[in-house]
Amino acid sequence: MQLRLNSFTKTFDNLTVIDELNLTVESGEMMALLGPSGCGKSTTLFTICGIHRMNGGTLHFGDRDVSNLPSQKRNVGVVFQNYALYPHMNIRENIAFPLRVQKLDNATITRKVGEIAELVHIPELLDRRPAQLSGGQQQRVALARALVRQPDVLLLDEPLANLDAKLRLEMRSEIRRIQLETGITAILVTHDQVEAMSMCDRIALMKDGKIIQLSEPDQMYNDPVDTFVAGFLGNPPISFLDATVADGQFRVGDSGIAISDALQPKVHGQVQLGIRPEYFGPQFGIGLTGKISFVETQGREDLYNVTLPNGSILRSIQPAGRRLKLGETVNWGIASDHALAFTPEGTRI
Amino acid sequence: MPRFNALGFGFLAPAMIVVTLFFLAPVILTVFFAFTNMSTSTGITGGEYLLTQSDLRGLKSSELSDSTYETLENSGYLIDEAGLARLAETRDQATADELARLHAGAQFDSRRDMERALKDLRDNRIRSTRDRKALAELFKTSVMDDRFQTRDEFVTALSAAGVPDADQKILVKEAYTGWVWTTENMKLLFSLDSSWRYAMNTLFYVVLTLSFNVGFGLFLAISTFYLPPTIANTFRTIWFLPRILPPVLYVLMWYWLTWDTGIISSFMSLFGMAPRNWMLDTATNAWIVVILINGFVGASLGMILFSSAIKTIPASMLYASEVDGANRWQQIRYIILPQLRWPILFTSSYQTLSLLTSFEYILLATDGGPGGATEVWALAAYHTALNNYGGNLQYGLGAAYALVLVVIGIVTSFLYLRFFNFKDLVAKPRIEQ
Repeated sequence: MQLRLNSFTKTFDNLTVIDELNLTVESGEMMALLGPSGCGKSTTLFTICGIHRMNGGTLHFGDRDVSNLPSQKRNVGVVFQNYALYPHMNIRENIAFPLRVQKLDNATITRKVGEIAELVHIPELLDRRPAQLSGGQQQRVALARALVRQPDVLLLDEPLANLDAKLRLEMRSEIRRIQLETGITAILVTHDQVEAMSMCDRIALMKDGKIIQLSEPDQMYNDPVDTFVAGFLGNPPISFLDATVADGQFRVGDSGIAISDALQPKVHGQVQLGIRPEYFGPQFGIGLTGKISFVETQGREDLYNVTLPNGSILRSIQPAGRRLKLGETVNWGIASDHALAFTPEGTRI
Repeated sequence: MPRFNALGFGFLAPAMIVVTLFFLAPVILTVFFAFTNMSTSTGITGGEYLLTQSDLRGLKSSELSDSTYETLENSGYLIDEAGLARLAETRDQATADELARLHAGAQFDSRRDMERALKDLRDNRIRSTRDRKALAELFKTSVMDDRFQTRDEFVTALSAAGVPDADQKILVKEAYTGWVWTTENMKLLFSLDSSWRYAMNTLFYVVLTLSFNVGFGLFLAISTFYLPPTIANTFRTIWFLPRILPPVLYVLMWYWLTWDTGIISSFMSLFGMAPRNWMLDTATNAWIVVILINGFVGASLGMILFSSAIKTIPASMLYASEVDGANRWQQIRYIILPQLRWPILFTSSYQTLSLLTSFEYILLATDGGPGGATEVWALAAYHTALNNYGGNLQYGLGAAYALVLVVIGIVTSFLYLRFFNFKDLVAKPRIEQ
């Protein structure tokens, strides 16, 4: 079911947290609300499920205007960061709770709980209590409880934040699998760009209560609208260099970097160059001389920081093997087709 | 193997002393008093030996032999050889001889008669009334109505009065005016109809007050939980007033409300109703007032405990229940109340114990009235031992009443500790999850 937020405004006391936000999530789509702490992504989520009231704007689920409905009547499923399972009920009762408050008959409840337990792979846990489950299992129960009454929209609030790294990887694909199997419209709130990119169809990157960019993950990665988006996505992060356009080159100190054909007509004067670590290294020829100021071994890959004579730092990620030493001088090139150019204020050129 | 730590013991010592002085000692004293017949008439120190007519009548149908009874009953003053010899020694032989001549062998029931006999002397006139009184005592053969400081003196007197050894023991016991060890209190307690009435009153009082406490406390806690914080805090403060007011003032306010010149009466008189004492005019009214007075005090404590317990429920859990579709009532019924289970149980058990033993609000309000309708067990103990209309304060019987409460209190405390699984409650929290 399509979800539409129109000029949604939210204020707390006199502080406007979200001002005139528009967002449409298509039916069956999984949308990430990504952003740093305090950007308003959780507020948006809590407003969609009705815990917060809107101060302005409208919210539609399909053709239904739910802007002024209490959360009980919105038919949304929510998975909270701490799962919010009811500790005094066993798993079966937890999952059955949304059905029980609807006063469905027992046979229907049993059938639906059984089905949803199969879907999230926990049929053997139904008689346990939440405290007896691991974090990943609690996560599955929370998902089952959110999905059992077939909500119009599934909302996930930092669902993986409380899990350890290995479980996080597992649950990432599990949540995506379940979302695809049920075909439900879902919104994932997260501050982890990897989660957003790996699980979602589209990402809405938020900052200070505004959506900065809304696009598919690879497009957002390769085609960011500004330095904030470019810097937020990617791990290890992109490096920025101050450069001047002269002689048909980006001049960085004494060195020059070729300007791609696409950029050539658009750039002039001062620019910021954004260079991702995978596009700087010896495989791209030579061009920039600098000293290795940091080495991090990640097993399959090595990460180097290269400090240029003017003090700027470029990151480079390379297949493991050539163990370069700290302080060594290198002269590496840049894949200039992939260099991103921004104005000094940070807007993409 | 933990080492014995003198420092730790030193830190504990003040607490141990306080526990011993203020908890253990009263309990031990209660047990001690409960098995004595201490009262105002026996005093709490030792006593004397005094056989009165009523003591004797009480013994008439017991194992006391009839001859002894007759002896004690009829003997008063006898002018016999021994008495005359004492008179001769005290006064002179001539007086003794004259008395022997006039009244030898005579027997008198009272001292006045004996004095009259002494007055009959003509040759050896005894002029002073005081002397006659003193000399009359020389002929006394009875031990009746006479105080003896020690048991030996009393036994000697009994022998002198011709009471056989077999009967002396029972007389000694009866004549002793001090306190003695006895189990009579317990027997009396369980045979008195009033005990059962007090017990029923107590049960009624505890069950109803507790229900009111917990029910109203829950109502306040839950209703203030859904109010905006400032309004909620104002309400909580108002409801907490009964607990922080001095009990006397608090009950005085109830007097203002319920007395025949009080607020209710004044208000009802507007509708032509005759003024009445709403607190004491019927047993039902008295119970309602007593339960409300205690109930409001207890409810304020329950409210605080329940409010803070509700606040510990994570907000996300309440949000979750709302998006799961639960309305307010279902949220209370399925999410909040189940998580208040332990606070409710704790408050109930704690209040049961304190309601069983505390009686100050009833004492101040109805003092057990009207006609003993609101006399509960603890109040009965107080009235019996420390403050009653008759004036004979029965410390022993009162302590026996109190002992019953002590036993019930200790037994239920242990039950609660088991029930609450005290070890689990003090176990380390599991931070994980």
